Amino acid sequence: MSAHNIFDLIVGPQHPMLKEPERFVFKVEGEYVVDVEPRIGYAHRGIEKAAENRTFLQILPLVERVCGICSNSHTLCYTLALDELLDLEVPPRAQYIRTLVAELERIHSHMLCLGVMGHEMGFDSLFMYMWRDREIVMDLLELISGNRVNYAMNIPGGVRRDLNSETMDKIRKGLEILEKRNKYYKKVFSEDPTVLKRCADVGVLKESVAKSLNAVGPTARASNYKTDVRKDDPYVAYDEMDFQMIVYDTCDVYARNLVRVDEIIEAINICKQVLDKLPQGDYKVKVPPFPKPPEKEVISRVEALRGELIYYVKADGKSIKPYRVKIRTPTLLNIMPFCEMVKGNYIADIPVVLESIDPCFCCEDRLAFVDVRTGKRWVWSLEQIRYLAEKGRLERG
Amino acid sequence: MDNILWILFQALVFPGALFLILLAFFYDWFDRKIVARMQNRVGPLVAGRIGILQPFYDFVKLVAKEDITPAAAVRPLFTTMPVMAVAIAVFSILFVPMLSHEALLHFEGDMVLVMTLNTFFSIIVFMAGWAAMGRFGSVGAERAATQLMGYEIPEFISAFSVCLLAGSLSITAVNNAQAQVGIPFILLQPLGFVVFLVSLQAELEKVPFDIPEAKTEIVGGWLAEYSGKKLAFFKLAEELRVVFGAALMATLFFGGNHGPLLPPIAWFLIKTTIAVFIISTFRAVAARFRIDQVLKGGWKWLTPLALLQVLITYLVFLVVG
Repeated sequence: MSAHNIFDLIVGPQHPMLKEPERFVFKVEGEYVVDVEPRIGYAHRGIEKAAENRTFLQILPLVERVCGICSNSHTLCYTLALDELLDLEVPPRAQYIRTLVAELERIHSHMLCLGVMGHEMGFDSLFMYMWRDREIVMDLLELISGNRVNYAMNIPGGVRRDLNSETMDKIRKGLEILEKRNKYYKKVFSEDPTVLKRCADVGVLKESVAKSLNAVGPTARASNYKTDVRKDDPYVAYDEMDFQMIVYDTCDVYARNLVRVDEIIEAINICKQVLDKLPQGDYKVKVPPFPKPPEKEVISRVEALRGELIYYVKADGKSIKPYRVKIRTPTLLNIMPFCEMVKGNYIADIPVVLESIDPCFCCEDRLAFVDVRTGKRWVWSLEQIRYLAEKGRLERG
Repeated sequence: MDNILWILFQALVFPGALFLILLAFFYDWFDRKIVARMQNRVGPLVAGRIGILQPFYDFVKLVAKEDITPAAAVRPLFTTMPVMAVAIAVFSILFVPMLSHEALLHFEGDMVLVMTLNTFFSIIVFMAGWAAMGRFGSVGAERAATQLMGYEIPEFISAFSVCLLAGSLSITAVNNAQAQVGIPFILLQPLGFVVFLVSLQAELEKVPFDIPEAKTEIVGGWLAEYSGKKLAFFKLAEELRVVFGAALMATLFFGGNHGPLLPPIAWFLIKTTIAVFIISTFRAVAARFRIDQVLKGGWKWLTPLALLQVLITYLVFLVVG
């Protein structure tokens, strides 16, 4: 391998492969990718800083707009933090409805990801069918919340809307169709010869590498790394649900596809359980419009659609605004594993491998203090998050 | 004098360049509509009746757009290649019998010329990508040339094994031989047809072989730097190539423009429409291959199968006489 044969293939910030702006410099030798340099931060919108100038409840619509696809995960994570901060007793019915919306959102996001995966490998028919069936779950979410994208369902102390029996029947019907369709898609992703040709043994991320680079979500679970916040640290009503953690051990794009398809089917199961077990009672408790929590800091985490999502909220006890809100999204953790996956693959595999981590750069780009290029590994301890929060506060005056 | 005028009319208007361009637009619409229906969409709908004018509108729109030549591009190549592409595409279709049972241009051995022109088109694609001097253009050009290695030989062999049946290297002769034998050659050489279909798909750069363009990977590949008129001409050339591919398939395997009752041109249109339908179906049901997989498949499967077809044909000839 001589150095003069290697040239830079610059992908992004604008590229049809990327749905959001991000820059990757691929060192390419012929058709092989030798190395990659990611450069993040194109979609930095200053949401964390903006949060410091809003009251606790005003932040809800703000964090909902961190990401269009996982909007519910963000509000859920933030409301969980607020529940703890304000010491609210959330009624079980509300917890169940939160679980339902979270799982429906997981179905829609995974179907979106798998559809785009079909598009990236040149299989547009798969993309069209997947997205057609995704409309069903979008309609269900609209039925529940009134919105197709930003559901705004989670509020501190409960949910914004209740479920009635008519809605529940419609949801059950929709879930039946979705289950049938997704069992078919599982067959496509595990048996179709052209899909297998593009996915099997492509973008391999070994288990040890996944652990050392701290991969999260489906990316990690496809590398046989058992991590799922829903199981490890159950929130809302997950401890009362009976579901499997989907793990595959082939570590390639094929495994990541199958993890997603299986998670859709598992999510449908969870939704059905929620509908069957839904307890009676209130769906929210009253919260004052300008809550002033005591001096306290809270970390909440949820299994977002792409992996573990962490919110750190600190109240200083004097103000109706938070002292600091810190968000860490899953895509950030999956960027380094992506760089490992893509090395040694063909240029043609880049979009497929990138899509297999289901990247969401808009989520990730609020983060100010992470230098991905150095590839430094660290553990997010409470002290470090506190330190980063303090440091950021100081640096920005 | 009248004779020359008639030939000129045939070459330029009907069934020559103008007719072929209109046909190219029609088949582009047909292809888009078929693929759209297969993907559960409606496809072109607004321009003209059920969107039939859409490809024409697209062409006119592209022609009217700003035409940018990159500073680094090799200007002479960059500007001439689009025109060359259209010219070669039209020229090679004229060897296929359309209006009568004899092609406008025909001589013993024109199959060799047409196949050479075919390869020439791939060279044009390579040069076009190279002349643009862009990163994606270079990769696309490289892929186009590499893909050529995979599909060219099996395509040649499968086309020539049909000639073996007809006993002539002329497309017109193959066309008429099927009328004499009474059965289309697809029934005599099914294996050869499959090889021809797959390699034709690769030649036309349609999914699953749209590797040199691969929009999600290399942003249009060799076409990436082209815009305005030049892009319009390349698009037109590609549409013409679909007409050419369908015409060749219809002539070599579907019994040419022979058929009962209807005039030859009608049979030509019917059979090419069927061919386009097959090509479109192919496009809707597969994911894109990788370039290494195309080469491997071409040499591991297509070429041996094509040779096997030649061998079978030869043995049958020996036995039957």
